[in-house]
Amino acid sequence: MPGRLRLSIAHKAGQAASRLSQVAGRGRGETIAGRVILGVDPSALHKLALGRDIVLVSGTNGKTTTTAFLARILSEGTDEKVSTSVFGANMRAGIASVLCSKPRNRYVVLECDELYLPAMCEALQPKVVVLLNLSRDQLHRTGEVRKVANLWHNHFTGDDVTFVINRDDPFLEYSVANAGHVLRITFGGRKHPDAATCPNCGELMDWSTSDYSCACGLGFLPAQIRADQRLSGPGRNAVLAIEAARLMGAVVPVDVQTDLTESAPDRVSMYLAAGRTVATRLAKNPESWRECLSQISAKQVILSVNARGIDGRDTSWLWDVDYTPLRGRRVLCTGERRRDVAYRLSVQGIDVQIVDDFETAAATFDEQPIEAIASYTAFQDLAAIGLGLTKAVTGADR
Amino acid sequence: MSKLTIVRLYHDLLGTYGDQGNAEVLMHRARGRNLDVELVEVAPRQSVPTSADIYLIGGGEDGPQTAALEMLRVDGGLHKAVNGGAAVLAVCAGFQLLGTSLPNQDGVAIDGLGLVDASTVYTDDPRCVGELFVAPVDDDSTALYTGFENHQGRTQIGAGMTPLGWVVSGFGNGLPGAEAGARIPEGIVSGRVIGTYMHGPVLARNPELADRILASVAGVLAPFSDDFANGFADERRLALPK
Repeated sequence: MPGRLRLSIAHKAGQAASRLSQVAGRGRGETIAGRVILGVDPSALHKLALGRDIVLVSGTNGKTTTTAFLARILSEGTDEKVSTSVFGANMRAGIASVLCSKPRNRYVVLECDELYLPAMCEALQPKVVVLLNLSRDQLHRTGEVRKVANLWHNHFTGDDVTFVINRDDPFLEYSVANAGHVLRITFGGRKHPDAATCPNCGELMDWSTSDYSCACGLGFLPAQIRADQRLSGPGRNAVLAIEAARLMGAVVPVDVQTDLTESAPDRVSMYLAAGRTVATRLAKNPESWRECLSQISAKQVILSVNARGIDGRDTSWLWDVDYTPLRGRRVLCTGERRRDVAYRLSVQGIDVQIVDDFETAAATFDEQPIEAIASYTAFQDLAAIGLGLTKAVTGADR
Repeated sequence: MSKLTIVRLYHDLLGTYGDQGNAEVLMHRARGRNLDVELVEVAPRQSVPTSADIYLIGGGEDGPQTAALEMLRVDGGLHKAVNGGAAVLAVCAGFQLLGTSLPNQDGVAIDGLGLVDASTVYTDDPRCVGELFVAPVDDDSTALYTGFENHQGRTQIGAGMTPLGWVVSGFGNGLPGAEAGARIPEGIVSGRVIGTYMHGPVLARNPELADRILASVAGVLAPFSDDFANGFADERRLALPK
């Protein structure tokens, strides 16, 4: 069968599967559509990427928000149409589905899972790859940080793509050590909790300042851009997105840039539970928990933690996080691993109570505001009940 | 006794798997008994005190494990402390480096500290990942220890060595003991030195083991009950596959 014909059949089959999935109430159907497309035409990714300007976004934290952000800048800052990932579908099938949906859009901004990034670079030939950060996450699946950094380091050797990286992360600096084109952005340095030893030579690194250095030379290359040291995690990612958009040809006015970095999108969803609005953040690993905890301002806080596959099945990392920002607040723990969290908080002397589900937690508080932090699947459960803003939570947070 | 000193070794190097929580649990349970207790952090290249009561070593990645091993070997303080009767709890990478032999980051066998008779090898078998349930040896206070394991290495403990327990579900040391039989050992107990593959952190999930370590250096402990700790430990035990 000729290549275009096979691709066309794959596309149609994918659309049909997606519609069926939606009719059956199994979600929005992106992933199933992608699976069908790849099942019919295994080389669909490569074919769909030909002639398009693709940017990939990867890293441990902030992929989804940065991808959305970059897509927005490209739509507003160019005259071209932009396709982009939806709801964090960042593996092969989700990516195939995005590429297929509007095949004539010139720009494609894709979120990419860390482990799939080398294969996606190969298949899609992106123009720009944005690397946000690397820290420990889902240890049972992804493996240790150094394994991901080594995978990237061994693969990123060409000069046909430009990497945009936060060079303050030594794992990223090491990942692109052999790459031809790198745009290094610094935020003045920031201690990395997983990088006591050098990803390149294994010796202890010097972290005596906020920046790192190593006798082997890792980190010696100067950054081309020095950004504001005071930026939050989302703000730092916004800077990377803006610079990536410029490389892709977008014009970003200075005032827009300032506005974007200072009010960078923070992934907060408003849920209505037991008649109360709960501002809920997604946190998946120690680094994102630290970031979320630093943003908490309410006196009433709900923490919901599960330990299903994507959450990380080992909850030990809860002990890597300093919960001091919760002192003086009332904290309710829910989710499948509520006892893990509650015990950890009690050892740190925080006022904590265990409740059965999210709705009960919200009902327990008799005033607002209420804020929540939820692990990946706990957040998904809330989102499944009502995507978008201020939707009712009716079922239990299982 | 006078002040109880707990040393957390190289948290920066061997802190990948949350084992640093073991120190906080010991502090919490010691303070709950009104014991005078202090935590000493020892960073890489700082000298290891020789007269503390309890030393804690956690799990980490292969490269940092080798770096930690070399520093402990050169420093020599941990050896002196163990010879002086100190208690040690070493988890995963920490357990492996206490043994006689282990693979370095390139998979080549290197000498461990030799503080316990256990040697670790890499096999072609899949990584040992998941919930681990263990029937304790020499601990009547509970029928089950629980933890989460995540390791490539398999560890053989020497003939006549006592494991921390026998695997009920999971991998544990991943190799049968020297004695014939179907039972797979988990960890090792050698005097006051304990090695284990259990994360969780292990002392958060097993208050009995935390008290066992405290009692080994502080003598008989006053009663202490912590509903959060007990509720958590019981729930994890109930997760044992039927």
